[in-house]
Amino acid sequence: MAAADLAYAPPMKSGKAGFEAGLMDPQHRIRITLSSRSVKNLEKVCGDLVKGAKGKDLKIKGPVRMPTKVLHITTRKSPCGEGTNTWDRFEMRIHKRVIDLISTPDVVKQITSITIEPGVEVEVTISDA
Amino acid sequence: MGGRGGGGGGRKARNFATFRLFPRAGAADPNDRVFVRVDNNDYTVPGFADEDSFDPSLSDPSAGDGNFHSASGPLPEHVRREILELGLPDDGYNYLSHLRELRPAAASSFVPSSTARPEPLPLDVKAYDASRVRVGPSDGELDEGKTMCKVAAKTAPVRRIEKAVDPDVVRLLDESDVSHVGSEDEGLEEDFVIIANRAEGEELEEEDIEEWNGVLSDVEEEFDFEEDEPKPRVRRLLDEQFDLLALEEYGDSDDDDRVVKDGEYELPSEAIDELKLFQSQNVCVDEEYRTPADFVRQKVDSSTTDEVDESAHVIKKCAEYAERYLNETAEEEVVVLVSESSDESEVWDCETIVSTFSNLDNHPGKIETPGIPRKRLPRVFPGETTTTNDIIKLHGKEKLPVEYLPQRRRNGEKEKKVKPVEASVTDKFKKGAEKETKEEKKARKAAVKEEKKEARKAKKELKGLYKSETQKAQKVAAVTGPSSIRLIYCGKHFGLFEIMT
Repeated sequence: MAAADLAYAPPMKSGKAGFEAGLMDPQHRIRITLSSRSVKNLEKVCGDLVKGAKGKDLKIKGPVRMPTKVLHITTRKSPCGEGTNTWDRFEMRIHKRVIDLISTPDVVKQITSITIEPGVEVEVTISDA
Repeated sequence: MGGRGGGGGGRKARNFATFRLFPRAGAADPNDRVFVRVDNNDYTVPGFADEDSFDPSLSDPSAGDGNFHSASGPLPEHVRREILELGLPDDGYNYLSHLRELRPAAASSFVPSSTARPEPLPLDVKAYDASRVRVGPSDGELDEGKTMCKVAAKTAPVRRIEKAVDPDVVRLLDESDVSHVGSEDEGLEEDFVIIANRAEGEELEEEDIEEWNGVLSDVEEEFDFEEDEPKPRVRRLLDEQFDLLALEEYGDSDDDDRVVKDGEYELPSEAIDELKLFQSQNVCVDEEYRTPADFVRQKVDSSTTDEVDESAHVIKKCAEYAERYLNETAEEEVVVLVSESSDESEVWDCETIVSTFSNLDNHPGKIETPGIPRKRLPRVFPGETTTTNDIIKLHGKEKLPVEYLPQRRRNGEKEKKVKPVEASVTDKFKKGAEKETKEEKKARKAAVKEEKKEARKAKKELKGLYKSETQKAQKVAAVTGPSSIRLIYCGKHFGLFEIMT
């Protein structure tokens, strides 16, 4: 699915890629997927990444907020069968944000190394520009 | 989303690489993360996640492209070298993957092993480390106070001292057990005191020998000692006398009695005293035989007053003993028999009584606490006395055979009997014989009330008994059957019924 998205190449980008004497030769399309259970941390990391990328003057598209996935678990409250049949409804909310960049991989590595928040999972997909 | 130009045939060209942030394997800090490849595509990104020492196959099992696929052939040279350097065996397994890096930020610090602990000091000893104290004529001060301060300042108390193990000391310690058994040439003799005392005057030695014999613990030494001792010296009269005395005292058990207990081999102190006395008397035995009588009659020239008195005393004593002996032989024929049954034993006591009984005809039993008499059915049915019929009457709401129930019921009956009797008695005093119908009614009503009361009590008891059963059944129903089953306890029928909804 990532490949399908990146296959679409706007003409501006290809022009830029053709210009060999750029900053660093291999410009890649980089998609950073952030997912977490806590919104606060996630938003913080997102903000830092965007800020960092903008500071380096990278083309950035973000942060796209995916719909929150809510995982439910419903169990009986009672450990035995006795009593009124009450049920617990537990849920886990997973938030997902996607940030697209166009840059060289090492720059991205730099950016992602700075912002480290516990509980936030970072996935980076690199493809050809 | 994007246009899918490829169509349904082959898979889309997967020219991308996916990396995920994982915490570094073996790192203390969970925020210390690295990028790890999580897909299997051929696309390579040279600048990303290129770390040599990190083996992602540990942290992410889905990652196919590890650093080195360790199962494929022999390990590369530098890896092998490193493994060998660490002292690990070179068997084709990459032990480096199990290494943990010590990072300065990490909380782990080197802790010396506590298992190899030198012995702690005993409680009454305090040790100080004085390695920093400078000893020497540095200042030339011999002022005690100042030097003490200096020493105290430099020393630090130490809780454990490591015993310096000197190889020589160790050797000696090991050898000490061996050396005990063998050579007697080295070290001190067991009887070194006696040998030392041998140099001092000869007369004292006899007594010393007697006394030291108790001290000697080594049997063989003693034996040798006794044989050797008379030889170098000229045997005197006293030696012979001593030997005779020894034989008298200890007889033929010499061999056994070599094992010394401290007091035994010594002559009793009276004997020693006697000997001393004897010695002090300065007896010189001549060829002639002399009797005490000679001393008394003063037929001997060189007799002292002591000797005369003693001899006289001896003679007197002899005469006394002889008389006594003569008298005793005459009296011995009369043997007095004292019978056991005297007046005192007439009074019997427990012990005597008990002891005179024997288990042959007496079978004592254990005294036990009296048990609770449990009578399920009364032996004499009160019903039998009242009704000769075969009818068992049922009374009360519960329709129970009142007369045949166990004790409790009987008491109830008794109470009932008592109450109406009492009531009738009191009533009689008040109203007289004409009002018996009223009394009868009252009595009857009272009886019925009593019965009801008892019935209620019984029911409550049973309900309590069976309540747990209800709960158990509910549980079972909850687990197995649908939750719509409701269980109730029907007291009347002593059972559980389900109400199906």
